[in-house]
Amino acid sequence: MIKAVMVINTQGKPRLAKFFEYLPLEKQQELIRNVFGVLCSRPENVSNFVEAESIFGPDSRLVYKHFATLYVIFVFDSSENELAMLDLIQVLVETLDRCFKNVCELDIVFNYSKIHTILDDIICGGQVLETRSTEIMRAVEEISKLEAAPNAITLIPKSSSGWLSR
Amino acid sequence: MHGMRGLSVFISDIRNCQNKEQERLRIDKELGNVRNRFKNEKGLTPYEKKKYVWKMLYIFMLGYDVDFGHMEAVSLISAPKYPEKQVGYIVTSCLLNENHDFLRLAINTVRNDIIGRNETFQCLALTMVGNIGGREFAESLAPDVQKLLLSSSCRPLVRKKAALCLLRLYRKNPDVVNVDGWADRMAQLLDERDLGVLTSSMSLLVALVSNNHEAYWSCLPKCVKILDRLARNQDVPQEYTYYGIPSPWLQVKTMRALQYFPTIEDPYTRRTLFEVLQRILMGTDVVKNVNKNNASHAVLFEALALVMHLDAEKEMMSQCVALLGKFIAVREPNIRYLGLENMTRMLMVTDVQDIIKRHQAQIITSLKDPDVSIRRRALDLLYGMCDVTNAKDIVEELLQYLSSADFTMREELSLKAAILAEKFAPDLSWYVDVILQLIDKAGDFISDDIWFRVVQFVTNNDDLQPYAAAKVKEYIDKPAVHETMVKVSAYILGEYSHLLARRPGCSPKEIFSILHEKLPTVSTTTIPILLSAYAKILMHTQPPDQELQSQIWAIFNKYESCIDAEIQQRAVEYLALCQKGAALTDILAEMPKFPERKSSLIKRAEYSEADTAEQSAIKLRAQQQTSNALVVTDQIPANGATSPVSVGQLSLVKVPSLVTTENDTSTDRALSQQNGASSKVDPQPPSADLLSDILGPLAIEGPPGATVQSEHNAVSGLEGDSDAVDGSAIVVVEEQTNTVQPIGNIDERFRALCLKDSGVLYEDPYIQIGIKAEWRGHHGRLVLFLGNKNTAPLISVQAIILPPAQLKVELSLVPDTIPPRAQVQCPLEVVNLRPSRDVAVLDFSYKFGTNMVNVKLRLPAVLNKFLQPIQVSAEEFFPQWRSLSGPPLKLQEVVRGVRPMPLPEMANLLSSFHIMICPGLDPNPNNLVASTTFYSESTRAMLCLVRIETDPADRTQLRMTLSSGDPTLTFELKEFIKEQLISIPTAPRSPAPSAAPPTAQPSPQIPPNDPAAILAGLLS
Repeated sequence: MIKAVMVINTQGKPRLAKFFEYLPLEKQQELIRNVFGVLCSRPENVSNFVEAESIFGPDSRLVYKHFATLYVIFVFDSSENELAMLDLIQVLVETLDRCFKNVCELDIVFNYSKIHTILDDIICGGQVLETRSTEIMRAVEEISKLEAAPNAITLIPKSSSGWLSR
Repeated sequence: MHGMRGLSVFISDIRNCQNKEQERLRIDKELGNVRNRFKNEKGLTPYEKKKYVWKMLYIFMLGYDVDFGHMEAVSLISAPKYPEKQVGYIVTSCLLNENHDFLRLAINTVRNDIIGRNETFQCLALTMVGNIGGREFAESLAPDVQKLLLSSSCRPLVRKKAALCLLRLYRKNPDVVNVDGWADRMAQLLDERDLGVLTSSMSLLVALVSNNHEAYWSCLPKCVKILDRLARNQDVPQEYTYYGIPSPWLQVKTMRALQYFPTIEDPYTRRTLFEVLQRILMGTDVVKNVNKNNASHAVLFEALALVMHLDAEKEMMSQCVALLGKFIAVREPNIRYLGLENMTRMLMVTDVQDIIKRHQAQIITSLKDPDVSIRRRALDLLYGMCDVTNAKDIVEELLQYLSSADFTMREELSLKAAILAEKFAPDLSWYVDVILQLIDKAGDFISDDIWFRVVQFVTNNDDLQPYAAAKVKEYIDKPAVHETMVKVSAYILGEYSHLLARRPGCSPKEIFSILHEKLPTVSTTTIPILLSAYAKILMHTQPPDQELQSQIWAIFNKYESCIDAEIQQRAVEYLALCQKGAALTDILAEMPKFPERKSSLIKRAEYSEADTAEQSAIKLRAQQQTSNALVVTDQIPANGATSPVSVGQLSLVKVPSLVTTENDTSTDRALSQQNGASSKVDPQPPSADLLSDILGPLAIEGPPGATVQSEHNAVSGLEGDSDAVDGSAIVVVEEQTNTVQPIGNIDERFRALCLKDSGVLYEDPYIQIGIKAEWRGHHGRLVLFLGNKNTAPLISVQAIILPPAQLKVELSLVPDTIPPRAQVQCPLEVVNLRPSRDVAVLDFSYKFGTNMVNVKLRLPAVLNKFLQPIQVSAEEFFPQWRSLSGPPLKLQEVVRGVRPMPLPEMANLLSSFHIMICPGLDPNPNNLVASTTFYSESTRAMLCLVRIETDPADRTQLRMTLSSGDPTLTFELKEFIKEQLISIPTAPRSPAPSAAPPTAQPSPQIPPNDPAAILAGLLS
């Protein structure tokens, strides 16, 4: 299962952190710091894998991708396939990109509630939930509409809740 | 997010902070504000509440503790409108853990959302429960969630979330979520057309089969069918292809699920699967697009793993190795990385090592890759593939790499080089060369056991001694040498430099001055070794050299008042010994050979990461072939120096006369340790036992400091009183006023002897009872060593064995009198009739003067002594496990109150009881699978299988399943293991025996021939 998803900028500031196994706040921050410490010293054009057991304990793996000013990091155990996790990072980023038309760090900073919504649509309980970024997009857009017109929600009957249809 | 201006302003403010201090001030201000607003909740609009809760989450993410407002977040879950409800769900699942009390308050609302008709709400609720649902959620929601997953009226969006929600509830509380009868439902779910639902269901299946694949055989062909459908790209919706690859995630998950089944028996299914796998293996190319590469290779590497798991025909395996060989040379770093990693896994597969060896040059090149992650994988692979044929090349590469390796890798690198050198050395001088080079190049990373080990080899191989002495001399001649080099050189030159005496530059004087030059640069732990070396050099100087002698004596003199007790004692003792003349030669004679023992290094290598695939491969091969060059002689040690608790130390206590001689005025430390026991002992000629003190640090196991301490105890018998009073669980019963107290903790001694076969069972100022045991099948032969420590005889000696029902015990005649300072040996034959945890008791009594001493001691003829470790392969394990289907042959129990320990430690504990961990059989890394053979007359040799499932989130509980062909055995072994795992409250301290009135003897209350009652008395 996926243990954690992190987005950290190249200065080491967390932009998103979601842990699928509960950890106290200090521990979360320590892990974020340690991960950043390792990543910031890695050159370009190397693999996307980093030894994670010294940070997260036995049976943990880490893949990351570096985009402009951000690192996107997935930590998971040996029951997941490393490259499939890398693919999932790509899905997350492509979805954000569609959502914000060329996503940048600021989008993530100011829209972190939306980021949480997107993440909840991709991963649930540390497992892959959805991998089609078009579908995730559609869901997020519908939610924005619901937010804009909060009164409408209770009126939508099950059969016609438009954003749910495939 | 629309319209939450306050939030955006706050975020901007934080971003504009110049430094951490400003940020903290701004956040404290905001927290104060939010706290105030929450206090007067009355005036709070839902919009404001939502805004504040988002702010809390943002602050939390930045790393600031938010210790309030949790209630508000949870209460938003009950809000009627979507935006508030959504915030409530998201923030709650980020801020709270599954055991948080507030969550309980939300259960009803969550349940209403789940069973309600609003799909949006259903999704929110399922997501939160899927992320943080704990026990109570499982208890009240699992059936509803199951219903949603199976409901045909529910849409895929809800069902796929329900599947993952159920997975979480099941994983966290397998005892609550009832999955009986789920095999059929899972099989049905696998027919699902919607790939989203299918992906989630596959994750659920992986969790279910990882726990019990037996029930899910019917799902196996369906998995193969799904894989076939995807890999052939048959009717997969366009949106479910990723860079042209049909859902790589589903393909990977499906192949993962298949790896939990031990084998595929149905020939048709097997053939179909192999066709698909073949297609994946052969049809994947490295292309330009990185994302496409990652996706296609995700599938490919999973296929490789599945092929390895299924143990395909050799031809297909060779194909896989060839592919991996290609991968480790490609430009794409991810593929290089995984190529190396999978090659390491491949080592487990028999018969491909030789093909892998062909890629050795390329792998060595990877050791210089710019990416440290790849370098690590290359190191692991080289380590795993090393054997006698290529050890020289590989170790020399590692040595070369050591100088340029990252700091973070050096320790591991040097340890691995040392282990390989030891395991596969083609000849011993090469081994010595390697270790000395390691110390020279990476002294800081060389742990003590590495240099202890080289000393051990040199000591045990006469041919090697002059070579090693000459070699270390070369190193120590250099101007700046590492302290560890000083240690090993001092030791070896002290022992063997006289063998070089005729060579130029190697006279005793020259050797001494080279060593002594280093003394000002070393720490206090090295000085004692130097002092020992000086003493030995002096002894070997024949004819004596007055000048050298006065030089060395002056040094001893100087350190006589050293503040470090170890240095001081050595200085004092050596000085006194030197003045004894001839006695010096006896005492400082060459160290005896070490008994053959397993290298602590190799043990370390085997136990660390014991459960990773790579390690088990290495272990497996290590058993198959090791170098013969390094067989340590198995000569019995002449003294106890080499094994801290061996029978050797049962030789009578001899206190070196120098300790108590009158001219030793500065031996405060030694004198102060004297207790009643030693003062009764007549001065004896110094015995060789003293050596074990002098050279204490060379006992290979354990940190040198501790070893010195324990050896000192063992040899001089002077320090035992420090812990003698503590914790002795057994009251010594006696006829007269008790002045005899056991030395050491009887209970601890017993427990130690349960794990090893020789050591001290009991000791008091008059007698020491040692034990040495050999076990063969259901027979055991023990020897009791009764050693009289005094100058007066021990009389009325009686030893009676009270055996439990399952043991037949015969003790040979015990003499009535043990002469002064003598040791008698009493053999004891044990036959194990049937499985039981009951323990035999030795009722021992003797009289010293007017003191009658009677002790009842448990004998370490315990259940685990009749176990023999056995490694069971998957093919042997699973049929056996399956055939024993339930009670009373297979028993399962959830054990609570377990002493929390990391998994490797638990594995070690089991191994110490001869229960052998079978790594790799259980794919879940939190589980242990182990096997052992039990021997008794009734059961004969009987295989026992053990499975322990642990919960990483709660180390205090686990589930244990045991099976064997005998119901009593299953039960007894289960209870036995349980006893070892749960934390036993420490035995209450016995009342001070002297305080007990002589009439209140516990012994008369115990029927003399009822061991169970005696045991109960012992354990109460």
